[in-house]
Amino acid sequence: MSVDYTREISVIEGSPSFAAVNELIARPLDEKPDKKYYFALAITLSMLGIGAICLGATFWFGTGVWGLNNPVGWAFDIVNFVFWVGIGHAGTLISAILFLFRQRWRTGIARFAEGMTIFAVMTAGLFPLIHTGRPWLDGYLLPYPNQHHLWVNFTSPLLWDVFAVSTYFTVSFVFWYIGLMPDFASLRDRAKSRIKKIIYSIFSLGWRHSHRHWHHYEMIYLILAGFATPLVLSVHTIVSFDFAVSILPGWHTTIFPPYFVAGAVFSGFAMVQNVLIFIRKIFNMEHIITMDTLEKMNKIMLVTGSMVGYAYGMEFFIAWYGGNPIEFFVFLNRAFGDYAWSYWVMVSCNLLFPQLFWFKKIRTNIKAMFVIGVLVNVGMWFERFVIIVTTLSRDFLPSSWGFFTPTIFDLGILVGSFGLFFTLLLLFTKTLPVVSIAEVKAVLDHAQPKHHHGD
Amino acid sequence: MSSEEIKIHYTKKELPSGFSRLGFILLIIGLILVVLSFITDYNRATQNSVIIFTFLTSISIGSLFLVALEYIAGAVWSVPFRRISEIISFIIFLIPIFALPALLNLHGVFHWSHQEAVANDKLLQVKAPYLNETFFIIRNIAIFLIWWLFYKFLTGNSRKQDSTYDQKLTTTNIKLSAAFMPIFGISLTIIAIDWLMSLEPHWFSTIFGVYYFAGTILSALACLTLMVLYLNEKGLLVKGLTKDHYYSLGALMFAFINFWAYIAFSQFMLIWYANLPEETFWFITRWQGGWSYLSYGLIFIHFVIPYAILLPQPAKMDPLRLKIAAVIILLAHFYDLYWLSMPSFSKDVVLFSWYEIAFPILAVGLFITIFSIKSKKINLVPIGDPKMKRALEFKL
Repeated sequence: MSVDYTREISVIEGSPSFAAVNELIARPLDEKPDKKYYFALAITLSMLGIGAICLGATFWFGTGVWGLNNPVGWAFDIVNFVFWVGIGHAGTLISAILFLFRQRWRTGIARFAEGMTIFAVMTAGLFPLIHTGRPWLDGYLLPYPNQHHLWVNFTSPLLWDVFAVSTYFTVSFVFWYIGLMPDFASLRDRAKSRIKKIIYSIFSLGWRHSHRHWHHYEMIYLILAGFATPLVLSVHTIVSFDFAVSILPGWHTTIFPPYFVAGAVFSGFAMVQNVLIFIRKIFNMEHIITMDTLEKMNKIMLVTGSMVGYAYGMEFFIAWYGGNPIEFFVFLNRAFGDYAWSYWVMVSCNLLFPQLFWFKKIRTNIKAMFVIGVLVNVGMWFERFVIIVTTLSRDFLPSSWGFFTPTIFDLGILVGSFGLFFTLLLLFTKTLPVVSIAEVKAVLDHAQPKHHHGD
Repeated sequence: MSSEEIKIHYTKKELPSGFSRLGFILLIIGLILVVLSFITDYNRATQNSVIIFTFLTSISIGSLFLVALEYIAGAVWSVPFRRISEIISFIIFLIPIFALPALLNLHGVFHWSHQEAVANDKLLQVKAPYLNETFFIIRNIAIFLIWWLFYKFLTGNSRKQDSTYDQKLTTTNIKLSAAFMPIFGISLTIIAIDWLMSLEPHWFSTIFGVYYFAGTILSALACLTLMVLYLNEKGLLVKGLTKDHYYSLGALMFAFINFWAYIAFSQFMLIWYANLPEETFWFITRWQGGWSYLSYGLIFIHFVIPYAILLPQPAKMDPLRLKIAAVIILLAHFYDLYWLSMPSFSKDVVLFSWYEIAFPILAVGLFITIFSIKSKKINLVPIGDPKMKRALEFKL
């Protein structure tokens, strides 16, 4: 098998016409949803319902219904928070960082990945709020001059999380919306029903595809990408600070910031890849979200997965090299203690299985990549579980050692978080264009200045 | 695909004679100074050899990493510059020479190599299975051998392509590069731990390998940028290199300036915040006496100044500002390595005199000499690379 390196790989296969691109991407918004859609929605809404019931019980009875106990004061709530924030990171990486690096293959997937970012951050944001136990007092998380002279603890990374996540959400949302504006205009221009026309007109903010509009658009898009890049890194860095600034063995280690960021991108890509496999099939977008794009995503998973593996190795090595017996005990306990099974789930799913992506055959096999993507997400969820629970369950005093077992409420809320995320995602596919119409047109073969006819 | 369709217009020219003369003069001056420094203060000269060893390792293996990165990422814009990185990475063959003084005088550099120190120190006893003379020497030799092999094959295939125009060589190199990446990551970490972290054998930091990696890639990029600008101005590269190519180099440097700062901050912040004496002593040494000025200086020379220079978009396309930034980065990397290692040898007094300059002069002289010798035989542009034509058409 030989590859011709003198030719560029087309971002969009088959060179469809501009009109065809419009039609294809806008079609799901015109058609009434079919049975399969309602069936999927029924499942995700049921999951959401389970979560809502469990959450209601938590509010009614208090966080005592969770499996938390004295040494293990953080468990599913924080695990889920870190997991969902991590999922969000891939979207920003694709839409902002790959944009700054001028990776044109991002075009077909950026919109969808960014949408996933927003939904994932929304889901993640719930957990710190409910974790406080009295969510009706969460307003005090925002520092403001008040009569009680109550101030937040500015030296705590938990507070920095509040600022980082809310800023990140805001910028991501604005970035997403700016990208949607030209598409709203395109939808407005082709809308037949009056109501739709009015709605799209409002959201397109008077966009007329004029040269001046595009000029401003390109500038603001670049600036927002520049903003979003340090923001996305700072979010998971601060999440890692939640653990690493403490002096607990297993939490306090300097590699945490880049390790968490790599892990976040890793799990986020797995989730985006999983969902896109369905989207490209259902919406006939196999020439827009191409196999080449999926392969590149798998390569990024291989890279970030190996970075995470490097961090596992480094942590273990330095735990021994540092010569602190307690630190080393914690790592041995992770690998061979009560929670050894979760440690090995983590290692195999995050480090071993993604290594299969070294082979092109597996990188380009839909079934194989889907399975590995699912495993990666399982592994990354367990990674946070291992970090949080194994460290906490072994207190400094052996008499205070404990064991965490999740209750039905813990599990219910986890299920509910998936329900929320996928419900929002399903609604998104039917209300907004899942691929950027304007950007895809710009990367078509025949839109390129160097395009020669007859190639 | 016939070779006709790959061929580009390139005529090989000689480097200006002043260039090689400058290299030769610096090489001689450096050599004399180095010999003098060994005669007058053997231990201090050995300690300086560690700094220059890690510096040249950064540039050479970092350059090979850039070569491999281009293959594995399928990058197009950087193809015209790849040969320059390949030539720089030839220094991999010479770095063992700079490791030799320390290997012959382990006691003068590494506290852990003293038997009596280990006997009275529980922590060093724990680390002894890793930090001992035999294993140290074995793993370092193994790393050099592996790096040599990758250099041989990667650059050999690339050079073969100049005459054969065989696309299969690109495929082979992509596979080699893929194999190189994990090996590079692990071996560079070992070098960082062995040669820099273990100078203070009680100290440890999990991010340290990443920290050295950041400096490595940054300095290799700066070195490449400097050479590209110089050679292109002299008309020794190909026609068709535009501001867009420069911009890419500048943007990549800018990204790695930020990456280094991020890693450096992460390491400092977490150790400062947790305030555990087993870790903080390393920073405290660097935050006392004269060293504190150097620590503040590091923030400026390694981050603030190059960041400010390269932040504006036009700066990334302006040869003059790119050159200034590249020179500052190279100085900063040396400064960084000095800051990492010297306080371990001299805790209270900042040592800086002609001893510290002897090796850098030798290194610059050697670099220029190697480059001019190598470029006599080798094309400065990989003319047989199938991506070359696309690279010259590259637009932002």
